[in-house]
Amino acid sequence: MAGPVSPDAHEPAPSAILPVTQELIARIGWYIRLRWVAVGGIVAFVEVARRLLPLQLHLQLLYGVVAVLAGYNLLVAAAFRGLREHGRLADRADAAPARIGPVARFLLPVLPPGLAYGRAAAAAAVFANLQILVDLVLLATLLHAAGGIENPARVFFVFHVIIASILLSRRATYAHATTGVLLLTAVALLELRGILPHYALDGQWRADAFHDPRLIGAQLFVLAVTLYATAYAGTTIAARLRRREVEALVLSRQLAEKANHLEAAYREVRGAEKVKSQYMRKVAHELRGPLGTIKTALSVVLAAPPSALPGNQRELVEMAHARAGDLAVVTQELLTLARARGARTSVELVPMDLGAVATGVVEKLRLRAVERRVHVQAEIAADVGRLTGDPDGLGDLIGNLLENAIRYNPDGGTVWLRVDGTPGEVAIDVRDTGIGIPEDDLPRIFDEFYRSKTAREFAREGTGLGLAIVKAVVEQHSGAIAVESTPGQGTHVRVTLPR
Amino acid sequence: MAKTRVLLVDDDRELVRVLTIVLEDAGYEVLSAGDQHEALAAAARERPDAIVLDVMMPEGTEGFHVVWHLRRRPEPYFQNVPIVILTAIHSATPLRFYPDSTDGSYRAGEYLPVQGFVDKPVEPPALVAEVQRVLAAARAP
Repeated sequence: MAGPVSPDAHEPAPSAILPVTQELIARIGWYIRLRWVAVGGIVAFVEVARRLLPLQLHLQLLYGVVAVLAGYNLLVAAAFRGLREHGRLADRADAAPARIGPVARFLLPVLPPGLAYGRAAAAAAVFANLQILVDLVLLATLLHAAGGIENPARVFFVFHVIIASILLSRRATYAHATTGVLLLTAVALLELRGILPHYALDGQWRADAFHDPRLIGAQLFVLAVTLYATAYAGTTIAARLRRREVEALVLSRQLAEKANHLEAAYREVRGAEKVKSQYMRKVAHELRGPLGTIKTALSVVLAAPPSALPGNQRELVEMAHARAGDLAVVTQELLTLARARGARTSVELVPMDLGAVATGVVEKLRLRAVERRVHVQAEIAADVGRLTGDPDGLGDLIGNLLENAIRYNPDGGTVWLRVDGTPGEVAIDVRDTGIGIPEDDLPRIFDEFYRSKTAREFAREGTGLGLAIVKAVVEQHSGAIAVESTPGQGTHVRVTLPR
Repeated sequence: MAKTRVLLVDDDRELVRVLTIVLEDAGYEVLSAGDQHEALAAAARERPDAIVLDVMMPEGTEGFHVVWHLRRRPEPYFQNVPIVILTAIHSATPLRFYPDSTDGSYRAGEYLPVQGFVDKPVEPPALVAEVQRVLAAARAP
């Protein structure tokens, strides 16, 4: 038996993290679409600004940057498609455990213990990170083309920080916030020193707010605070969402493992049941022949004339004959039970007429009922009992129900058998006016060899296998069985079988 | 007039002995065989008036093979000799399956070409009555 796998084993399972990676990859696609929105937005912004605002824009430089942005986004989109379909962003790249480099480890959000990223996650993180870096540089270039530190669009670095907080780890997000601040600082300082030209928004370098290093510092400080606060808020919210996502993932993985264990345990039990049934069948089969011989031999002795067999010897032989008969019945019923439980694979369900089988069983038991002075009333609806089933098994089922109803019925009692049905199922009802089953015994009546105390007191004969056979046959046919009983008044058993 | 001869085929030697006593007490001469080869050889050599055969011998369906082999032989005797089989097969659907004459597989819908059935465990009077019945039917014009 294979040892069960503990559901909380701390083995990294890269494939289990696939949904998180897939989400990351999907967000990269979203990021690329967003960049097209940015291209359109910048163009609209520039066009509106040059018409409505008293600004002097360096349009060539601005549109040059926009063209670079658009061309670069085309390349990124193509690379993304290629990586996704053939390369390292494909799902299978995450299926095998992978050692992830320090850069990817720095970039990827932290996972709870027991979960690990695969190759695709690492590749996605590096890919996303490169795009954010390039975008930061492009935004800094755009700002430089339109007033540098003067341009209020400097707060647009916030977008990059938010995107980083969604895609990457907390520390990578802070790193990008820092990069944004440093880039704008570099632009401001280089313009201030005259190393880069300053394209003043109003056509002249204003001496006030944007020429004084202290004021520039204040602007940059405000920007830094904005970006770090955004990074903090963004990563906190993203981490919380990611944790929920991972928790749901871990839960579903644990559930799946539990379901697997249950299924394995169930299969094991079923296998053991089958072995038991096969063993039961072999033993019963071995016993049946010799028992039959003993019984027949004793019958021959009993057929001897009275003079050849004195009274008490005859009594002893009669006793042995009767007990051999009892044993023959038990072995036959064990064989029947083993058969219904699938010890033989040759039992096939075939189209059959349950009514005909029921009629045959009633005929066979008619004599038994007369001996016991019990009336049997059968009501078998014509042609209503057609179904796919095992005729032998269903004969056993009806036979056992009727035998019980006759056996545990007082003199003059009545047994009703009714077979009818609906288009979807067939119903077999057996009612009697017998001794009934005490409520405490009801849960155990289908156990093999179980006979309630009242049953044992009322009738010596009976193997305790009849209802086990009934249950096995019902299960073999995917049917259902219901028992209602009132001690001293009678019992009603209803079996329903799908057609 | 010579006694009516019955060939009894069963792998259970004790049962053969018991049933021999039963049939001899009923006035028959009893020949016996323990497997299908002995049975076929004895039938061909002795030409008994009736054959009593257990269907479930060690090979599982050996008795069925004996029936098919006998009936396949061309002489009229083998077509007509009455056969009674002993069976513990479920009595609700007596012999619903009939092993194919060649490969032993089950084939439905064709009745085994035999004249009588006796349930196992054998009740001596039932066996005697069934043997008498098939012999009488075979002798009827």
